[in-house]
Amino acid sequence: MSLAIRLPLARFTLEVETRLEGASVAVMGRSGSGKTSLLEVLAGLRRGARGRVEVGGRVLLDSAVGVDVPPEARRMGYVPQDALLFPHLTVERNVRYGVRGAKPSRVDEAVALLELGPLLSRYPATLSGGEKQRVALARALATDPALLLLDEPLAALDVALKERVLPYLLRVRDEAKVPMLYVTHQLGEARVLAREALLLDEGRVRAAGPASEVLGPAVRGLLAEEGEVEENILEGVLERPGAGGLRLRVTEGLSLWVPDAPELAVGTRAAYAVPSEDILLSTGPLTGVSARNVLAGTVVRVESAGAGEDAATVDVAGVRWVVRLTAASVRELGVVPGARVYLAVKSAACRRLR
Amino acid sequence: MEGMAGLVLFTVAVAAVATLLILAPGVAVAYALARWDGPGKGVVETVLALPMVLPPTAVGLVLLELLAVNGPLGRVLDAWGVEVVFTPKAVVLASAVMAFPLLVRSARSGFEEVDPRLVAVARTLGDSRARAFFRVTLPLAWRGVLVGALLAFSRALGEFGATVLVAGNIPGRTQTLSLAIFQHTQLGEDAQALRLAGVAALLAFVAVYATEVVTRRRGRRVRA
Repeated sequence: MSLAIRLPLARFTLEVETRLEGASVAVMGRSGSGKTSLLEVLAGLRRGARGRVEVGGRVLLDSAVGVDVPPEARRMGYVPQDALLFPHLTVERNVRYGVRGAKPSRVDEAVALLELGPLLSRYPATLSGGEKQRVALARALATDPALLLLDEPLAALDVALKERVLPYLLRVRDEAKVPMLYVTHQLGEARVLAREALLLDEGRVRAAGPASEVLGPAVRGLLAEEGEVEENILEGVLERPGAGGLRLRVTEGLSLWVPDAPELAVGTRAAYAVPSEDILLSTGPLTGVSARNVLAGTVVRVESAGAGEDAATVDVAGVRWVVRLTAASVRELGVVPGARVYLAVKSAACRRLR
Repeated sequence: MEGMAGLVLFTVAVAAVATLLILAPGVAVAYALARWDGPGKGVVETVLALPMVLPPTAVGLVLLELLAVNGPLGRVLDAWGVEVVFTPKAVVLASAVMAFPLLVRSARSGFEEVDPRLVAVARTLGDSRARAFFRVTLPLAWRGVLVGALLAFSRALGEFGATVLVAGNIPGRTQTLSLAIFQHTQLGEDAQALRLAGVAALLAFVAVYATEVVTRRRGRRVRA
């Protein structure tokens, strides 16, 4: 994916020039930084965009030679912020909307992947926000798009856990294997979902590249201004070792006790969120604590998260955790890069997404 | 009584043909006004609304001047052997012109209720502009169009002023219910005039009631 876009907006000019692999890109930035406009330019919905856009080896826009592929020929799976389902059509007809001819298998796959079976005969007016988002995602997916363009519906923490679209996006990425560009405010989501990230500020690219490099302090600074609470999002396979209950196996070296529920089957993939504020950090070994998960790790870095708080990034068996601490405790405990620390996470603090 | 049946049939037929005639152009103009926002829009809107507020006789006069055999349009039509003035065609034309603004007004508000971003999404799903219009815009605006058509039809049923100038009042040729009522009143045949007025009231009731039903359904849908 190669972008060189100029689009005058009301407050500033959107200027994006970058090259990305494009398999899974998180687009982040404050509200009104041009994220939605960027998606609309890619979808071909913004007139007046100049420059060059190439996705998957195909040139969609090249104003120098007068190429501007109309939206219907771009094969962009656009999922707008408010879903925008067709109100006069059932869920099923919404999902089938962009499918021409006999390609029912794509529709069936999308319906299965997003678990829309029970909703098919309903009308959009009767759906919840998360359901609408899933239908819009299925509608885009069913057209076999070259790239999914997803505008995050709401700041993630305002949305009930079962309404979060993230677990479905993980399935789209891993099972349907459709490239996606995803606007989000949630750093935790971006970390688990994205391979690359694009950080926009006032219409300009502040940072772009591998997610591990981009989703660092710069992003946290921007999000802190918006009052977002950071989450750790962990994805893995469920297991029930012995009578101990339910455990999420994230990597070889990291497993996490999570609240048990009988409907959760061993061997399935699941994603859990742990707010960065709900983690206890200790510089000495923790024994005799009620928290079931005690994880040993190494501090990677400590940075200010604003309002007298610091965010410590801790590496636990290759998985990075973010822990919120007051700046005072960081000083008193001596939390510095390289320090050996222990994280205590109550299993109840691990909340399953969906 | 046979004369009455013919009269009613002619009146309804004229209103129906007039409505069908303006349906496509009316929808096109309504859509354009709902979506286009260029310079001079206000002037275009005003001109289109004029037949609603001008004296109908003034509109009839303009039509007569245009379509008379020596008028600018009449001359062209005459060359093709088409005669309009004082024929049933003139009745249809006068009704159509008078009804046009009502259709446009209602259809336009129907189109304005359709979120243009829904059309944008339809485009990304593979629809051309035209296809998106017929699959998204029109199905979502059809109640406004239908209400407009019913209002136009109702207006055409009772048209008098423009019609009498451009089509005359020729029994069995250009005479509609409203023209016949006028004629009977002039001749002092009040009983007959009243009977026709009753029939006209019945027709108008049916047309307006249908409009109400459609409008009410729309209200319910919006609440849902």
